[in-house]
Amino acid sequence: MDDKIRFLILSLDGEGFAIPITSLLEITVPRNIQKDQKLSEIFEGKLDYRGKMIPVVNLKKVLKLPGNPGGALIVVKSSKGVLGLLVDSAKELLETALKPVPMPRGVLNPSLNYYAGILRNREDLVVLLNEDGLLP
Amino acid sequence: MMNNYLLFRVAERLLGVKLQGAIEILPWRRSRPVPLAYSYVEGVMEYRGTIYPVFHLAQVLGLSRTGPIGFTAHAPGGDELRKGQSIILLEEGGKPFGITVDSVVKMAPLEDPKDPSAEIKGIDRKLVKGIQFIDDQEITLLNFERLFHAG
Repeated sequence: MDDKIRFLILSLDGEGFAIPITSLLEITVPRNIQKDQKLSEIFEGKLDYRGKMIPVVNLKKVLKLPGNPGGALIVVKSSKGVLGLLVDSAKELLETALKPVPMPRGVLNPSLNYYAGILRNREDLVVLLNEDGLLP
Repeated sequence: MMNNYLLFRVAERLLGVKLQGAIEILPWRRSRPVPLAYSYVEGVMEYRGTIYPVFHLAQVLGLSRTGPIGFTAHAPGGDELRKGQSIILLEEGGKPFGITVDSVVKMAPLEDPKDPSAEIKGIDRKLVKGIQFIDDQEITLLNFERLFHAG
């Protein structure tokens, strides 16, 4: 059985995070993001994506990480619609037969819904993002 | 009842945990930090195919006054200061986890503490099971069950 799943590994503040390829629509550079005062602080603004306005989230603000919004824009589909994620960079594709491990208990408040688990990428552990839980 | 305890030091205090199941002692290493984790969580690490959450024991017990760790702790020399420390990998109720300690002292057979309400100073009592003595040295015995019910 060859049940490999593929993930995009992205970088935030020097650490790896993952998004399933099945949710990925596009990797691009952040450009023409329109500020919108009505959106909350975690949003960088809105973007015209193939003729439709989508919200752009600064992932570092969501995860309370320091630094600038980042130099790569990742467009993903989620249960709450298409959204753009600002990250430091898109690093590589990971193809693995290992299933993600759930986040161990006692690490963070169980009401936080940002993570789907932990993945192994060679020697490193990568936090798998839950794209459906990133929007408030 | 007599049981074997592993004794270790955190912030000058002698602590102990009952030995049950497998236990591993490793030199301190950096865990993978998890953003938005509790302030006393160093992160997660993999050892022999198992993922362990790693807890900074001094902070769990309120024994240290150092700032937050993990993503917010890129203090100069921060990791260097940890080089002499150890990580103890344990299990509680089937859940594997790790704690960071200043040093591992020894294993010793000890009588289980009878009175968990004995007076204990300067330490968060949530995880304290009781006090025992070896040659007048006070040992605070811990019980990690409640570590997983935080928050």
